[in-house]
Amino acid sequence: MLKKLWRRWNEVWNADRLDREAREELAHHLEMEVAERVRAGADAAEALRQSRLELGDVEDVRERLREGRAGFWLDSVVKDAAYALRMLRKRPGFSAVCVLTIGVGVGASTALFAVVDAVVVRPLPLPEPAALVKVYDANVSMGIERSGVATGNLADWRRRAQRFAGIAGYYTMGRTLTVGAESEAVLTSQVTEDFFPVLGKAAAVGRTFTHEETAAGRFNTAAAPVGLDPVVVLSHGLWQRRFGGDPGVVGRTVSLERRPFRIVGVMPAGFAMPGPDVQLFIPWGLAGDEPRDQHYVSAVARLARGVTLPQAEADLRAVAQALAAEHPDTNQGWTASLVSLREDVVGDSGRTLFILLAAVALVLVVACANVALLSLARGLERVHEASVRLALGATHGRLLRQFLVEALVVSAAGGVVGALLALAAIALLERTQPGLPRLDEVVLGPRAMLFAFAATAAAALMTGLPCAWRWARAEPARDLAGAPGRVAGRRDRHALRDGLVIAEVAMAVVLLVAASLLGRSYQRLGAVDPGFDPRGVLVAPIFLDMQSYGRGGKSRSYYASLVQRLEALPGVVSAGGATALPASPLGPDFERPVWPQEIPNDPRVRRPAWVRMVTPHYFRTLGMRIVKGRAFEERDSPQTGNVVILSQSMARQLWPVGEAVGRRLVIDYSTAGTYPYDVVGVVNDVRFGGPRTEPRREIYLPHAQRPYLVMNVAVRSAGEARYLVPAVRGVLRELDPGMPPHGIQSLEDLLGATYSRDRHAMLVLSAFAAATVFLSLLGIHGILLHLVRERTREIGIRTALGADPAHLCRWIAGHALKLTLAGIAVGSVLAAASARALSGLLFGVTPADPAAALAVAALPLNALAVSLHPAWRATRIDAAEVLRAG
Amino acid sequence: MATEKLELLILKTLAATSLHGYGIGQRIEQRSGGVFRVALGSLYPALQRLEKDGLIDAEWKPSDNNRRARYYRITPAGRRRLAAEVEDWERVSAAVTRILKAT
Repeated sequence: MLKKLWRRWNEVWNADRLDREAREELAHHLEMEVAERVRAGADAAEALRQSRLELGDVEDVRERLREGRAGFWLDSVVKDAAYALRMLRKRPGFSAVCVLTIGVGVGASTALFAVVDAVVVRPLPLPEPAALVKVYDANVSMGIERSGVATGNLADWRRRAQRFAGIAGYYTMGRTLTVGAESEAVLTSQVTEDFFPVLGKAAAVGRTFTHEETAAGRFNTAAAPVGLDPVVVLSHGLWQRRFGGDPGVVGRTVSLERRPFRIVGVMPAGFAMPGPDVQLFIPWGLAGDEPRDQHYVSAVARLARGVTLPQAEADLRAVAQALAAEHPDTNQGWTASLVSLREDVVGDSGRTLFILLAAVALVLVVACANVALLSLARGLERVHEASVRLALGATHGRLLRQFLVEALVVSAAGGVVGALLALAAIALLERTQPGLPRLDEVVLGPRAMLFAFAATAAAALMTGLPCAWRWARAEPARDLAGAPGRVAGRRDRHALRDGLVIAEVAMAVVLLVAASLLGRSYQRLGAVDPGFDPRGVLVAPIFLDMQSYGRGGKSRSYYASLVQRLEALPGVVSAGGATALPASPLGPDFERPVWPQEIPNDPRVRRPAWVRMVTPHYFRTLGMRIVKGRAFEERDSPQTGNVVILSQSMARQLWPVGEAVGRRLVIDYSTAGTYPYDVVGVVNDVRFGGPRTEPRREIYLPHAQRPYLVMNVAVRSAGEARYLVPAVRGVLRELDPGMPPHGIQSLEDLLGATYSRDRHAMLVLSAFAAATVFLSLLGIHGILLHLVRERTREIGIRTALGADPAHLCRWIAGHALKLTLAGIAVGSVLAAASARALSGLLFGVTPADPAAALAVAALPLNALAVSLHPAWRATRIDAAEVLRAG
Repeated sequence: MATEKLELLILKTLAATSLHGYGIGQRIEQRSGGVFRVALGSLYPALQRLEKDGLIDAEWKPSDNNRRARYYRITPAGRRRLAAEVEDWERVSAAVTRILKAT
């Protein structure tokens, strides 16, 4: 076996030496023969002549031996490639178009593959990512599939569950970070002791939290966590941005909500948990007395070695069941639900990306079909060439190979162009689509390169095979009978070209349908009433610190005067604040169990409700509607009775029959007790997470009665919101010079970000659709031009005989129409099949949407338009000239 | 002469002793009583094929006239093939002979 390999190796790489040896051997043979004859008495010269005659030509034998060696094909492929390069140089325009077309196809698909690979396929950049899961609370009777975890239960899970290496909780919110004189809002995660060990990542600089540091960290959503010696761990990004990557940063102090925090470590680059935007980590020690009925903490866990996800889930559910028995008031009906972390992180964008990848593959196929068409169209002269070579004794296989090598050379050049384009596209993508998860990990690595290589090879086959097949079947007897350019058009020759064009149109139809469905769906998303009017509204997060504003109702008076001053600004219609704003990730947002006061002690009527503290003009500022009762007013103060306003769906759930206004609602603050509230109003539902999400069960409390330090203020402008930015900034600075304003943006931008994925998918697919439509029209145009050129003689004769130009145009346009309609017929079937894959992305649109049909219906018109030029060329054919040439 | 038959004859020749190309040609010509005259164009490609199939080996050695020559040698695989081919040939030729002799 080894010997054979060695032999082959030699044959390929030492061909020259073997050739020399063969010559020597043959010469030796001849010499011996001559010597034999001389010995028998012949004259030397005569002996040589005789020997040569009898033994055959030495050079001929040498040639045959060379062909018998393994390396022979390589040698001739190099020759083919050189020949191909010569052919391409002869037609620089044609070659450039082919190379660019393939380059764009390979480039686009490689870039998209790199994204899909990094975002979806490759596991998280954490050790043994398959063992990582997200843990959710679930309550079947309340119809809650996944909600945050109750802190009290988390502590018990950690203690009791057997099949986990660790379970960690974290809570992410925005806080004000001050380094030196500059403040900004940063997303911070307060994490329990297990967090870094579960994820399996150590700090790149310094260390993560010790047991003592974690134990000292208290959880407080309203203000900074307390503790004797507060510490933080920085993300790599924040470290680079604010400290210039200084390795001596450990031990330095930063301010969080105006309290000093000591930096103990920096996480490595690429650590993107719980999200790429989280910039700071604070320790959080579970005391064991945390509430069991407030489900708002995120949890991530690592399964013990060899444990499967269902096993771990069963384990956790057993613990949850035991807890439900021990704490029926809070835990009845609650259980746990596990999802693999990868699925949780990748989520829907995975599907979107796969669909886009499929779409870009179609673009590549159409690009290749076009190159094949172009080559076929200019192939008449090649058919002539092939016939000549066949007549001179080349084999069909040899010709086939040569044409394939030609296609390979073009595709290889296209592949190089494509790789460069992919690099550029990825750079562009990183700049323009920051919303995509884990986009920063996209690189043109070895896998993407391998993909580019495969795409190039596929392109070579797709572009080369049709032509090679056609040309290698050239028949000298038939094809050489006429001069080049006069090969009579026989039906079967058109079948291949027509088939390619029909395939192109079909692909274009598929992408057109997909793009128009997504376009419609995006339009629908924009048309969904989110329950508030974001136009002209400016928002800003404000994090007051505990030390300055924590006592004596200082935060109440701060926000009261802030709203008052904002409303006094010219151009401001109204201003208000809320602890959490729709579409904004910043601000405390939590759930509390509530129930009607008249039905106490019945777990079945308890409902978790999202609680939001708002100022009186909040509803008006956001453009929300008071459906029943009244909004909050200045008279709702600490001195008056506690009041609450419900969202419509909350009101319906608590009091399915009768009025909610006038009733009393109980809110359970867990360890802080339960309190009754008078329902004074019902406000319309809000799609809090954007138009794709369902409204949440919400209740609103007046900020004056329950002051919070962290608020998001909203200002409604009479005109364009952004003109208000300087004025709002001025008011904030005036009110507290120590708290520089930050994070001011328009609510429209915030809302838009919630469906930016839809927008991106639509834009990318539209670009792909446009590209394929363009390419297929180019294909139709090319094939018609070619048809005219091919039949120049026939057309000339007809014209000479008095044929009507209009008839000629009809014939050409008819051909275009025939091809397009066939393509549409095929494409419609394919589109119907692929629309199902798309359904997860669609919103309020069915695949049978008329917009898709309309977009497709435009195709034949375009096809007719591109047939004008070939038709014009046909009518310009000079009959006399053609006949003379014939 | 059919190529398989030539290959069989080469193997048979080399089974006795290792030889260079000219020697193989000579030996076949002698043994056949001058019936087979092997041309370069059939001999060397046949040797190349046999070598490729691992039935024979070759190496450069000094020849009788003090020149360098390529000597071919049968391999164990070659001997096995030869035995099989000879048996096959005998069976076929016996059958053919029987048919031709039948009246």
